Amino acid sequence: MNRSQQLLQIFREVLETNDIDETVSQANCEAWDSIHHLNLILAIESGFNISLEPEEMERMQDFATALKIVEGK
Amino acid sequence: MTHIFRNSTVELLFGNTGFTYSGYDEVTNANADADEYVWFYTVPMHANTRETAEEIASYIDRFKLVHSQVPATKPFYAFTLFNLFDFRTELIDFSVVHAINEFNSSLIQFAKEASNVKIIDFAAFCRLYPESELLDWKFYFISQTALNPKLALPFRKWFAAQKQATVKVAKKCLVLDLDNTLWGGILGEDGPEHLKIGGDYPGKAFLLFQRQILELQKNGIILAICSKNNEQDVLDFFETSRDQVLKKEHFAAWRINWLDKATNIRELAQELNIGLDSMVFLDDQPAERELVKNFIPEITVPEFPAAPYQLPVFLKTLRDEYFCVYQAREEDRGKTEQYKQNAQRHQLQQQFTDIDDFIKSLEIETTIRMNDEADFPRIAQMSQKTNQFNLTGKRYTDLEIKEIASRHGMIFSLSVKDKFGDSGLTGAAVITAIGNDAHIDNLFLSCRILGRKIEKTFMEQIICSLREENFENVTACFNKMPKNQSVAGFYGSVGFSKTSENETGKTYVYSLKKG
Repeated sequence: MNRSQQLLQIFREVLETNDIDETVSQANCEAWDSIHHLNLILAIESGFNISLEPEEMERMQDFATALKIVEGK
Repeated sequence: MTHIFRNSTVELLFGNTGFTYSGYDEVTNANADADEYVWFYTVPMHANTRETAEEIASYIDRFKLVHSQVPATKPFYAFTLFNLFDFRTELIDFSVVHAINEFNSSLIQFAKEASNVKIIDFAAFCRLYPESELLDWKFYFISQTALNPKLALPFRKWFAAQKQATVKVAKKCLVLDLDNTLWGGILGEDGPEHLKIGGDYPGKAFLLFQRQILELQKNGIILAICSKNNEQDVLDFFETSRDQVLKKEHFAAWRINWLDKATNIRELAQELNIGLDSMVFLDDQPAERELVKNFIPEITVPEFPAAPYQLPVFLKTLRDEYFCVYQAREEDRGKTEQYKQNAQRHQLQQQFTDIDDFIKSLEIETTIRMNDEADFPRIAQMSQKTNQFNLTGKRYTDLEIKEIASRHGMIFSLSVKDKFGDSGLTGAAVITAIGNDAHIDNLFLSCRILGRKIEKTFMEQIICSLREENFENVTACFNKMPKNQSVAGFYGSVGFSKTSENETGKTYVYSLKKG
């Protein structure tokens, strides 16, 4: 599984839906509220064994940005 | 649905489904539809300790205000305070420590009077982690979490276990081997003077182990011995040893002989009149443990530590897993005494040939109370534990009992004493009112008082009270349960008429109308 697939898997588990793909963003996904945002960060941190900076967390408002941040680590 | 009162972000700890949350520090608008409530405040993060202490000092009134808004019949779990991050500059600055202690004692005091409040000792969870793991400042600043959200999984598990412990049924009896279990060495081989108990290690470790076991006994756990030894040697050693903590009087029964331990344990269960599934057996010998496990699958047989210095941790685990109760009742504390008195009654019974003569000789006095709230916790506890004399198998929490009483139900309690001693509250009937009829939701008696026809007296008095309350009929049922076959004919024997029967049980009615 590549990083993109792994990340999508995390998004699906945390947001509890299979109905999302790489285009998902805070704007088009109702489930992605502030609490789920935190859960996403926790899951990404432990899933990729990385630590995200608060600025990165704030920027991470869609899948593409999230992937870019993860790949930059 | 659980409603949580909080002052920080705790959604990640508890989860989404099944929970609603107050605003931060919000004390009004309690979710009235919730089934239960949680108070989970954490110590505020101020740089100045006086500010922190002052804010903490306001929590107890806030807690009381919140508590006053939720129904007194619903469970309310209140977390104690624990300082997740120590900010003081002066080492002798104990202001925050004092404020936390003050809050916690007030909370505990409050819970003693408000029966729906159950204390959750948050410190017990926090002690499992270093300060650096308890609080993650990154998440604190981003979203005002106090306890680190990375601890969500262990926290959830721990909280569930704590909740369970407030209603859990603990084991009743600890069956102990002696040689190399309660002391080091073998009595029959090494001789009493060479046994390792007290003095230096390993005697020191066994000494503490025995003291801890004695504490269990004081809180209502029955102790029994099952050991391969000469009985007289052991009793002599108990009598003469200066270091031995556990003495003859602490044990309710024993089998000290050369028979196999499975047979001995079965006899112990019978003598004490308790189920094998409520016993825990400790023995240092793997072969003995194996044998007992094989022949008595119901009993709990934990591994025994190889080195005596592991005993304190072993006992703590044992207590947490099998003997932990939310709160011991007065009656629990004298349990060994009661079980011993029973053995004496058993002996007296053998002298009489006529059962009625025997009962007369006991000089039994019964006290029956109706809807006395002070009895509810003990009645709830009994409903959880009683298996043999239990007509329907329905189990209650004290809040459920309160609820039934508040809906015109009647809760009867039975206390018994005789010339050998006071058995305390040992029976109860939970009765609901349906129009002009009374329905016995459940009736149960402790097996400690069976065989003395007390159940008949109890039933007669209940009928009498129900007649005074002007009910027309009493309905009742018997539900088949794994261990209650002996009471299948109870209602028939006290004058009820059977109205139906199938493979799961029977229903009855008793007419209170005169003539």
